[in-house]
Amino acid sequence: MTSADLISLLQGAAVTVALSLAAIVIGVPLGLGFAILVWRRIPLVQLIVKTYVSLIRATPLVTLGLLIYFALPAVGLQTGPVTAAILTLAINTTAFNCEIWRAGLMDFPKDQLDSAQAFGMSWPHTFRRIMLPQLARTCLPALVNEMTLLLKGSPAIAVVGIVDVTRAAVRIGANTYEPLPPFLLATALYAAIVFVFVRAQRWLERPSKLDEVRV
Amino acid sequence: MTDAADGDGDGPATLRVLGLTKTFGDNIVLDGVSLSVNKGKTVCLLGPSGSGKSTLLRCVNWLERPDQGAIFLGPTRVGFRNAGSRIPMTARELAQVRARMGMVFQHFNLWPHLTVLENIIEAPMHVLRRPRDKAVHTAETLLKRVGLIEKRNDFPSRLSGGQKQRVGIARALAMEPEVLLFDEPTSALDPETVGEVIAVMRTLSTEGRTMLVVTHEMQFARETADEIVFIDRGRIVEKSAPQLFFACPHTERARQFLQRYSVR
Amino acid sequence: MIRDFSIVFENVDRLLIGLMNTLVLSTSGLLLSLLIGIVFAAALMADNRFVVRLTRALVDTMRCIPFLLLAYLVYYALPSLGLNFNNWTSGLLAIVVYNAGYMAEILRGVWAQLPRESIDAGSAFGFYGWNLYLRIILPQVVLAAIPMIGNQSIQVIKDTAFLMIIAVPELTHAASSIQSKYYVPFAAFISAVALYWAMCSVIEAGVRRVERIAQVRR
Repeated sequence: MTSADLISLLQGAAVTVALSLAAIVIGVPLGLGFAILVWRRIPLVQLIVKTYVSLIRATPLVTLGLLIYFALPAVGLQTGPVTAAILTLAINTTAFNCEIWRAGLMDFPKDQLDSAQAFGMSWPHTFRRIMLPQLARTCLPALVNEMTLLLKGSPAIAVVGIVDVTRAAVRIGANTYEPLPPFLLATALYAAIVFVFVRAQRWLERPSKLDEVRV
Repeated sequence: MTDAADGDGDGPATLRVLGLTKTFGDNIVLDGVSLSVNKGKTVCLLGPSGSGKSTLLRCVNWLERPDQGAIFLGPTRVGFRNAGSRIPMTARELAQVRARMGMVFQHFNLWPHLTVLENIIEAPMHVLRRPRDKAVHTAETLLKRVGLIEKRNDFPSRLSGGQKQRVGIARALAMEPEVLLFDEPTSALDPETVGEVIAVMRTLSTEGRTMLVVTHEMQFARETADEIVFIDRGRIVEKSAPQLFFACPHTERARQFLQRYSVR
Repeated sequence: MIRDFSIVFENVDRLLIGLMNTLVLSTSGLLLSLLIGIVFAAALMADNRFVVRLTRALVDTMRCIPFLLLAYLVYYALPSLGLNFNNWTSGLLAIVVYNAGYMAEILRGVWAQLPRESIDAGSAFGFYGWNLYLRIILPQVVLAAIPMIGNQSIQVIKDTAFLMIIAVPELTHAASSIQSKYYVPFAAFISAVALYWAMCSVIEAGVRRVERIAQVRR
C-alpha cells in the first residue's frame, strides 16, 4: 500500500462521514415531523407515515439505493450519485428516527401538556419550550444508536457509484492484489468513527447534574 | 462420623453444622452457628427477620460460601473434598452433594419454562440420570400426594402461590433427598393458601422425613418440630424442645420474639 | 408502467430463485449464528476473566465492522490466507460471523436480567456447567429474547442484500439483473421491496404468535 492509497482511504472515510451526516441532518428533524403527524393522529397522513416506516424498516439499503438511482431518472428526475446516496440514507434513517421520536412522544407525560394548556400556552410554544427539550434528552441515546447503524449501513451507497471507505479499500485491494491491508485499515477507520458515536452516546446517557437540581 | 457435635442421641445426625460464620462486608450475618438434624427429625429455625436464618440455609447447600465452619451431610463434608483438607470440591462434586438435599424456596423458584410435571422430573432425569418413565411415575405419585395431579401440564405462571409451593415441595421430594431444607416456605404466600402448604409439611414431618425448616409459622413449629433453634443476630440463643421453648423461653430475646409473633 | 410489471412478472421465476436464496441464506445464517451466539454468551458470562475479556473484545470488534466490509474480507482477503470459498459460502460465512456477535450480546443482555431465583434452584438441585446453562438458563433466555431475535432476523434478511455486491444470486441481485436486461428499474426493485416487506411481515406475525406462547412460560 502506498501513501496515495492511504489518502484515498481517508478520502473514502471523509465521504462516508459527510454523506452520513447529511442524511442525519435531514433525517432527525424530518423524523420528528413525521412522528408528530402520527402522534396527533392526523387521519390520512398518519396512515401514509406508518406505511412508509413499515416499508423502509423492511427494505435493504442496497435495494433502496438501486431503486432511487435507477428509477428516479426513469420518471424524469435526473440525480447524480451524491444526491442519490444522500436521498437513500436520508429516506432510510428518517423512518427509524420517526419511530424513536414517536416512542418518545407516546411516553411524554400528559399532565405536563394539560398544565401548559391551563396556562394558556399555544401549541407551538408548548412544543418548543416544554416538550422538545425533554424529548431531546430522552430520545438522544436511541438517535445516536441509529446514527451508528446508519454509518454501518452506509457502504450500501457503493451501488450508486460512490467511493466510500469500503469501496476505496476494494479498489486498493484489486490494484495491489493484497486486499488484507486495506480492509484491515478500513475496519480500523470504521471502528474509530463508530467509537466516537458510542462515546457520544455514553456521554449523553450519563446522569446529569441538572437532573439532581431538578429533582 | 457418629460423634455428632451436639446430637441428642437418638439416631445418627443426617446434617451437622459446625461453627458456621458468614459475613457480608462488615455485617456479621452468622457468628459461629452449630446445630444438627438427626435422621427423621424436624428442626425449626426461628428468629427475627434478618437474623441470618435464610443465609444459614443457603450456606448448607453452598449457594452461599461460609467464611468459616463446616457442614456435614452424613459423612460428606459439603464444599470440601474431605473433612480435614481445604481442597474445594469441583463443580461436579458439589452438584452431587446438593442433589442429596431437597431445597424448598421462599419464592418457590420454579422453572417457568417447564410444566408442573417437567419441573418435578427435570432434576431426577438430568442430574440423577433416572429413566423418564420412572421419573414420571414418581412425579405423578408425588403430585397426587400434594393434590395437584390435575395441574400436571400447566405452567407455573398459571398456579396460585400455594399451588406453586406444593409443586416446589414435590420437586424437592422427587430427588429422594437425605434432608429437606425449607427456606420460609410460606412467607411469600397469601394468608388463605398458607394452610395447604403447612398441611403438606406436617404430613412429611410425621412420616419421618429429615427436615430443617426456617419459618415464621409458630403454630407449625410448636406442633411439629422435634427441636426449636432460636437465632438472633447471627447467633444461636436457644435450643430446646418446642413445649419448653413456647411455654417458658430461657432468654429475654426469645420472650420478646414470641410476644411479637405469637399474638394470634 | 403496467407493461414494466408484466415484464417482471414474466421473469418471476428469477425473482423467486433470488427469494429462495435470500431465505435459505438468512435462515441458515441465523440458526448458525444463534448456535455460536449461545456459546459466546456463555463465554461472556464465564467466571474466567481472561475468557470474558477475549470474547468481549471479539464481539465488540465484530459489532464495529460494517457487514459489507466483512463480506469483502471473507470473499477477497481470506483467499490470500489460502482459504477459498465460493460467493455463496462466503456470503453465508459473513452472515454467521457478523451476527454471532449480535446474538451473543442479545443473549447475554437477557441473561444478565434474568431473575436469580430459578438459576439458584438449578444449582440447588445439582445442575452445574453446561447442564445448568442449556437446561435451566438458556430456555428462559431464549423465551425472553424472542422479540430481539425477531428484529435481528429482519436485519439479517436486509443484510443479505449486500451480498449482491459479491455476486451472490439473492433477491436484490435477481431484481437488479432483471432491471439491467429489460430496463424496468421501478417495477423490478419495487417488486423486490414488496417481497422483503412480505418476509418481514411474516417474521413480525411469527414473533407475535410465539410471544403468546412464551408469555405462559415466564
